[in-house]
Amino acid sequence: MKKKTFRGGAHPPERKERTEGLPLEYVRSVKQVVIPVNQHFGAPIHPLVKVGDVVKRGQKIADAEAKMTVPVHASIAGVVKKIEPRMQPNNIDGMCIVIESDGSDATDFLPPLDGFACTKEEALARIHEAGIVGMGGAGFPAHVKFSPPPGKTIDVVIANAAECEPYLTIDERTLAENGGDVVEGLAIVMKALGVKKGVVGLEDNKAQLVAGIGDAIAKRGHGLDISIQVLTTKYPQGGEKMLITAITGKEVPSGGLPMDVGCVVSNVGTLKAIADAFTKGIPLIERAFTITGGACETPKNLVAPIGTLVADLVPAIVKVNDASLRCIVAGGPMMGVSVPNYAFPIQKNTSGVLLMDRAEAEASEEGTCIRCGRCMRTCSCRLSPALINESLLANDLEDAEAIGLLDCIECGTCSFVCPSRVRLVQRFRVGKQLLRGKKQKEAQSARK
Amino acid sequence: MPANSMLLSSSPHVFANVDVRKIMLAVILALAPATAYGVLLYGIPAVVVIVSSIAAAVLGEFLFDLAIGKKPRIGDLSAVLTGLLLALILPVSTSWWMAALGGIFATVFAKEFFGGIGANPFNPALVGRAILLMSFPAAITTWHKPFGPIVDATTTATPLNVLKLGGTLQDVAASVGATDIGSLYLKLFIGARSGCIGESSIMLILLGGALLLALGVIQWITPVAMMASAVLVSWLLGTDPVFAFLSGGLAFGAIFMATDYSTSPITPAGKALFGAGAGVITALIRKFGGFPEGVTYGILIMNSVAPYMDKLRVPRYGKVRPPEPAAAKEAVK
Repeated sequence: MKKKTFRGGAHPPERKERTEGLPLEYVRSVKQVVIPVNQHFGAPIHPLVKVGDVVKRGQKIADAEAKMTVPVHASIAGVVKKIEPRMQPNNIDGMCIVIESDGSDATDFLPPLDGFACTKEEALARIHEAGIVGMGGAGFPAHVKFSPPPGKTIDVVIANAAECEPYLTIDERTLAENGGDVVEGLAIVMKALGVKKGVVGLEDNKAQLVAGIGDAIAKRGHGLDISIQVLTTKYPQGGEKMLITAITGKEVPSGGLPMDVGCVVSNVGTLKAIADAFTKGIPLIERAFTITGGACETPKNLVAPIGTLVADLVPAIVKVNDASLRCIVAGGPMMGVSVPNYAFPIQKNTSGVLLMDRAEAEASEEGTCIRCGRCMRTCSCRLSPALINESLLANDLEDAEAIGLLDCIECGTCSFVCPSRVRLVQRFRVGKQLLRGKKQKEAQSARK
Repeated sequence: MPANSMLLSSSPHVFANVDVRKIMLAVILALAPATAYGVLLYGIPAVVVIVSSIAAAVLGEFLFDLAIGKKPRIGDLSAVLTGLLLALILPVSTSWWMAALGGIFATVFAKEFFGGIGANPFNPALVGRAILLMSFPAAITTWHKPFGPIVDATTTATPLNVLKLGGTLQDVAASVGATDIGSLYLKLFIGARSGCIGESSIMLILLGGALLLALGVIQWITPVAMMASAVLVSWLLGTDPVFAFLSGGLAFGAIFMATDYSTSPITPAGKALFGAGAGVITALIRKFGGFPEGVTYGILIMNSVAPYMDKLRVPRYGKVRPPEPAAAKEAVK
């Protein structure tokens, strides 16, 4: 099979060897969970329970009516102890529901649903009811992603197992141990969308999984046309747009969505969660993640209830060398968020926890751009980061937009390759916010 | 719980193993063969020029930064490289204090005055040379025979000088002791001719260029565009194209000067246009100008327009017309 890839990109050190091939370890009993109410991208939702309520595992505890929302479920059975703002993995305090375990395992799941006998509407409603969001990182509501507006047709559903972020090995483990569920989930989505073609895309550092996925497709692919595409390992291949380009050769139009080129991309963890929501009726209440890094003495691939505090995993399940610990990151090293301590919960889109030591976490000082052009040659969106940076430093938002600021996917490759450690992507994140704010103001004043 | 000393920074949290110092070191390494060959050709006087140029460039930048209250950055080796580049494009007849003056002009006036590394519009080493050429025209255009003592009796003309003074290619061959055109080409390629300290051996310069390409420090576009256009225009103007390529400072300038990050365009199309322009100007000066060589001014003139060439950007990802929705197509029908 011919390997495919996209143009540009970089090769950060992979550092996956410590958790590669380590079987998933299940964290079954936790004494408490801190479940963030808002774990999705979209409109805010609100708690349905109050302090003192007894909840069952799988019971819906927060929801709202708006379309761009996804409900949240209790991940353990117990008593609601507090509803208060707590630190989330994005390093921002958000409303959280604190549940203390009562030792029982009372469950309140949905009835199983046959994804191949139900209508499209029933399938999408189930995906929504089960609280499923994109688990690769963005937290985008899955049922919205699977609802193309009239006029847009989807030709291919891509299962994203690129896992281009260094350190992380959780997509690998999910495919290796739950490949059948991933294929089942993919088949359910293909059936719901009426799509003929499915592709599992993974980088060649996981090529040993191909045979196993092939078996899973034969057993649980429901006879659908599902193929495997091996990709040349390169960052940011797991980015939705880059994966589509690598596999189909098509480019998602500027400002558009994958569905504009007939594609839907879904992380393998999300697809596994979809399979569980149909075959077992279990909503999204646990997730698999990699916990590793130089200061982590027992790197592992864990599965834990949503809302498990990392602080509760240390030191019983994960041993940390406190002396060398320098940086805690929720997510991968390229796009993850660094946090001040362990007191944050695993949420639906937490794919990893990095405990980096002094040698790994470089504290650099920003230098000046020497115009070497490395950022431009590696930008997978073919932007000119050095020039956008110049415009932003000059407070010229119009020029930054003209060069393509809004097309930036914030993958961080430019900052990774910069010899002067110029804060490129960091400045672009701020610049995008400023630009959106400015546009909103202009739109408001135009309406008046 | 970890101590309260966690590093909090916006992603990415890992970085490529590259910094400005390593890049500058790579260029210095790439210049090492040509530098060593220059010392072999001209002996101790060449060492004096090289050392005084580098020392003055570094010291000048350091003291200037101290004086204006800026944190000195000489550790990035950029000033060392500038000093070395300047020395290599000076003839060995330059006295030590002239070389030192050039080094100061290069780093202090041409670079730090504009804000330091990355902010200077003109190539510092070339500015240093241009100023010396204007200030001491006699010294900077006096050439000595290779492998001889640096005394008045051993002065000679460079191959381009011979041509400028109306000589033919045969005259040039005779001036370097070659019997026919073929052996002239070979001598020029190897570098058995007079010229600036580092510009003679095209072979060693190309070797350095190959190293920089292999390390990804420079891109091929600029040097190829510059050499190709200079050779093409020279040929159209009646000069032997192989001679145009092998003589003067074309190869040195195209590989080590026109690729300077700060002073050349950053986009591929910009690099191509920049290189081509510098090559054309070089050829025109060689043919019609007052000087036999035009690489210095060819590149400096293009430096002044380089920022505009950054507007020649590659089409970005997804910058295509979105495919028309099927419904809209139906409506048109």
